[in-house]
Amino acid sequence: MTPAQLTLTAFAAAAIACYKPYPAAAQTAPVALTLAFEGIKAPKGAIMVAVYDSEAAFDGSGGKPVRVTVVAATEARVQAEIRGLVPGRYGVKAFHDLDGDGKMGTNPFGMPTEPFAFSNNATGMMGPAKWSEAAFAVGAESAVHTIAID
Amino acid sequence: MHRRSFLTAAAGFGALAFTPEVVLAAAANSGDWTLGVADVEADIAPQALRLVHGRAPAGLSGVLYRNGPAKFRRPGGSATHWFDGDGLIRRFLIADGKASLTARFADTPKRRIETAAGAMIQPGFGTPAGAAASVSGPDDVNAANTSVMAAGGQLWALWESGSPMAMDPDTLASRGFHTLRPDLKGMPFLAHPRVEPDGRLWNLGVFRAKAIVWRLAADGALEAATPIDLPRASYVHDFTATERHLVLVLQPWVHEKMVAPLAAGFAWRPERGTQILVLDKADLSKRRIYELEALSFFHMGDAWETADGTISLDICASPTPDFAIRGAEAILKGDAARIDVGVDLALITLSPDGRARLERTGLLAEFPRADPRFAGRPRAFSVYAGGTPSTHPLAQGLTVRDWRRDRNETYDFGRGQIAEEMIFVPRPGGSAEFDGWLVGTSLNFAAKATELHVFDARRVAAGPICTWRADVALPATFHGAFVSRV
Repeated sequence: MTPAQLTLTAFAAAAIACYKPYPAAAQTAPVALTLAFEGIKAPKGAIMVAVYDSEAAFDGSGGKPVRVTVVAATEARVQAEIRGLVPGRYGVKAFHDLDGDGKMGTNPFGMPTEPFAFSNNATGMMGPAKWSEAAFAVGAESAVHTIAID
Repeated sequence: MHRRSFLTAAAGFGALAFTPEVVLAAAANSGDWTLGVADVEADIAPQALRLVHGRAPAGLSGVLYRNGPAKFRRPGGSATHWFDGDGLIRRFLIADGKASLTARFADTPKRRIETAAGAMIQPGFGTPAGAAASVSGPDDVNAANTSVMAAGGQLWALWESGSPMAMDPDTLASRGFHTLRPDLKGMPFLAHPRVEPDGRLWNLGVFRAKAIVWRLAADGALEAATPIDLPRASYVHDFTATERHLVLVLQPWVHEKMVAPLAAGFAWRPERGTQILVLDKADLSKRRIYELEALSFFHMGDAWETADGTISLDICASPTPDFAIRGAEAILKGDAARIDVGVDLALITLSPDGRARLERTGLLAEFPRADPRFAGRPRAFSVYAGGTPSTHPLAQGLTVRDWRRDRNETYDFGRGQIAEEMIFVPRPGGSAEFDGWLVGTSLNFAAKATELHVFDARRVAAGPICTWRADVALPATFHGAFVSRV
């Protein structure tokens, strides 16, 4: 379990700092994606969400999330609406920022100490989930994608 | 009061329990030593043990907890290494001259994932990952199968590379992994803490060449957690301590690659020899390193230190890590010819002049235990499983060694028995070293029954003072703890 692989701290920093706005001249009509997070055990802090549209951005080898958002984790199930997405394939990374410091907590050996999750409820094997397992299609219609976290 | 908690336990999980017949039926090779690595299919409901020899000594009252892997095989795929079975925690209550047994699996994410999959898929110490393995952190592969300790009002089932699993000490119900501090969630906690006579506990967590030194109060509360760097990424299963020092024996079996299973990432580098790191408990930044010939090992006894600063410790040393890699695989296959335990009990002496010395005894002995009232202090006695000839690959007897007088006293359980670790329990009112009993289990595979024995610690050759027998044959355990009840 390489700490660097397990650590999503970099993701968190990148997610908060920057993202590219959706293309103004999109060829296809933008749609809204609702991300529902369920199974929240501790109703405190926030769910930090990053949405990616490419494998390179998702696995950290290049590019940035297309959207980031923060949802207050006030109850067991909370939702975030991501507007203006171009239909296509997307992957989501999220973590529950329990202590409200805006960062994914890690222990001294680099293992995450705050709950995290990926779209499709994909799980990693000694590291974050792969794009091939986390990516899902957003079509022409608005949709809801549910992710279990905590 | 004991009886009441026993009855509560009985009422609590009758529904979960299987009958002894189911457990016996599950033993693939009943009648031979491989019953020691058979599968147990479900928790064991509380049952009274039958006294088959002697009488329980007056004054012995408490609970012997034992832990060891007890589920290795599933239809879709099985563990390939002894260390990767699910931890079954056994609770032997001794009170009012009677004994009873309850056993329950630690309810880990690993066990849940593998139960759902119908296959052992989570990577382990020596078992490869299955295609559907799901690992987001160390506790997803935590088998909670190595030892137990009492902590405050809880029982912790210990593994080596993850968190302690908290359990109810009476019902053995799992309460989840214990996090000692939120920012230390998921940090490893070895299965071999060292406890000072007043109850303060030291332990390590190791990841490659980094370690954390845990210091806990007698009630299990965290006092300190100090990260330290190690001179090498050695395989660390155990460490030891004197009153003033922590002693880390760093074998040249070195973690070089992050792969699954864990053991596949280690390489044997005998040319580098063994390093022994001695840390000052009062200031962990004060360290000294000793050099010794290459050896491999799992277990050491409590160390002691004389006035001139000489540190001594008993160690169950092997020439190579062959057992950890191949032997513990062959055990699960019942392949006795490929198992070379290869342990030679030895004494390491670290002199104030910086020299380290290794003296071998020629005894094939493992699972060292000593008198906890003398932990870290000058002492004479250790008890081991083994030290007698065996008709199978595991131990068949026990040995008490007097290190001062260079004398061994042994007891042979005989063919048909697997001897397990013995734990010293002080006689109430006594204070002399080893004035008390040795309490421990054996697997009588000839009789297809787990047995619980009590010995006089100073007269083991005389045989058990008393022996109880269970209606079930549970596989061999690794380590345990005795919690006295007055």
